[in-house]
Amino acid sequence: MDLSPIQNAVASGSYATIADACDELMLQVASRGIAYQEDWPFTVHLLGHIFANDLNSARFLWKSIPQGFKESKPELVAAWRIGQCLWTRDYAGVYDAIRGFEWSPEVAGLVTAFSENYTKKMFQLLSSAYSTIGVADVAHFLGMSEDEATNYALQHGWTLDSSSKMLTVKKPKIITEQKLDPSKLQRLTEYVFHLEH
Amino acid sequence: MAMESVEAVVAHIQGLSGSQEEVAHLHSLLKQSEDALRSQAARLGAFFHQLDPSVHTLGYLFLLEAYSSDPVCREQDGDFLLSIVEFINSCSAEQIRLAPEKFISVCKSFKDKVMQLQVPIQGIVPLRTAIRKLQASSEQLTTLHSDYLLLCLLAKCYKAGLSILDDDIFEVDQPRDLFLYCYYGGMINIGLKRYRKAWECLHNVITAPMTTLNAIAVEAYKKYILVSIILSGQVPLFPKYTSSTAQRNLKSHTQPYVDLANCYATGTFSELEGCIQTNLEKFQSDSNLGLVKQVLSSLYKRNIQRLTQTYLTLSLQDIANAAQLKTPREAEMHVLQMIQDGEIFATINQKDGMVSFHEDPEQYITCGMIEHIDSSIHRLMALSKKLGSLDEHMSCDPAYLTRIGKERPRFDFDEFDSVPHKFL
Repeated sequence: MDLSPIQNAVASGSYATIADACDELMLQVASRGIAYQEDWPFTVHLLGHIFANDLNSARFLWKSIPQGFKESKPELVAAWRIGQCLWTRDYAGVYDAIRGFEWSPEVAGLVTAFSENYTKKMFQLLSSAYSTIGVADVAHFLGMSEDEATNYALQHGWTLDSSSKMLTVKKPKIITEQKLDPSKLQRLTEYVFHLEH
Repeated sequence: MAMESVEAVVAHIQGLSGSQEEVAHLHSLLKQSEDALRSQAARLGAFFHQLDPSVHTLGYLFLLEAYSSDPVCREQDGDFLLSIVEFINSCSAEQIRLAPEKFISVCKSFKDKVMQLQVPIQGIVPLRTAIRKLQASSEQLTTLHSDYLLLCLLAKCYKAGLSILDDDIFEVDQPRDLFLYCYYGGMINIGLKRYRKAWECLHNVITAPMTTLNAIAVEAYKKYILVSIILSGQVPLFPKYTSSTAQRNLKSHTQPYVDLANCYATGTFSELEGCIQTNLEKFQSDSNLGLVKQVLSSLYKRNIQRLTQTYLTLSLQDIANAAQLKTPREAEMHVLQMIQDGEIFATINQKDGMVSFHEDPEQYITCGMIEHIDSSIHRLMALSKKLGSLDEHMSCDPAYLTRIGKERPRFDFDEFDSVPHKFL
């Protein structure tokens, strides 16, 4: 079984493409009637879906994995725990799941990249959802200690009221592109022509 | 023509697969040899290696179809499947389209076999290839479309269904194909949580022309009710173009679901739970329990969304009370999740324990949004052109003209009549 497309994706750090590559390759291999499950990189496949935030595919993949594998491969189970926490919106649990396992060199890069992405996304969520939020919660949602979380927030322009331990959120400025190019004029002409006929 | 031996048929195939004329000639010879091939199906297995599926596609197809119609031959598990996969991969689309029914028959035997062996995943890529070769264009619906989606559902490879499902269909040969295709399409979209797309698919099933009620439409209507509730909190009325058969009969065959929709409208969690308990077995046996549970959890969201219509700011405690949640913290987490999913525009102020509701901040002036509107207009223009040409086509169709000719009131012979007399 030639797994090089997947191995290359992992090695080159193009983590966002892993899931699609795995999906397609699995279908191709299955169509040839090969009993692929024994050697299939389920952990990488699962983490690929988690990285792409495609929890539906992660769930379906998990359901299709034979029970025996789930019992004999602790890394696979640990990867699924991350997916479970994401699915049940156990925001802090995700960090515990990431840190609670000694990842093999094969997937360590992927897990680290996911972890950084996730922290960023959580911070963005907090910025858009809260006007004021307690330090303890920020630490909880970012998987950091209260001091680390406070520093992180302050670096991004938030302000701290030390007496009440409340952070005030600074909304990021949204830069929206508004340049139009001349081809738009062509399009508008087409629309008017169409409407008049 | 006398009964040909298999050897003779194979020799014809090898000799007459060069040009289009040869293949046409071969086609008529093959049609005359069909009975001979069928009666000798068991022997055919030995002859496949003498043919090249990419060059001798049509001949290979006739042999393969005769072979796969024979129940004994079908029992040769592994080789049988692999030889069909090989054929589908290498066959010539042009030659396939000369005998589409045979190709479909082979593919259906293939699909039946993978289902029987419980390896639906094995059939996905081959059927996908088969559809692309069989279709005259990506706008044409074939019988194989619904088989493909069924395999994707059974193998839980829902995303694989999208490559076919996302094509816009304009041509349908068999109405039954459309019913199944849209029904399975709805199920795939439900699995992927693309509820709006699922709604569209199911909507197509229940509004399709129907003279008698069919089981697919009934099942589709059950899911349609559930998806409608999840999407918008209520079930829309039947549009005008729904068949009277559907309008008169669908509700009476899906009473538990209609009851559930009515219960949902009251907004009380405990009442809804009660309603679900009453009909639990029915939902389970229809395999709709998962969807019903999603209806239940959507009630929280619905209640919170309703608040945004009345209030600008509200305390977390009040939200908890209104949505029947136990604590303000639970309410906070629900609101946070809805913000994350883009279902609500709000800001939480933890210091004061308040939530402020906002308008959608989208201004529709960014480049990205303009691109989006642009491509939508383009699609609409293309659709409009297509409808225009369909309309023109139909107004020239003899069957149509005969029909309106007959239904026109007869006046004087001299009366100007735009329908030529030969159609009256």
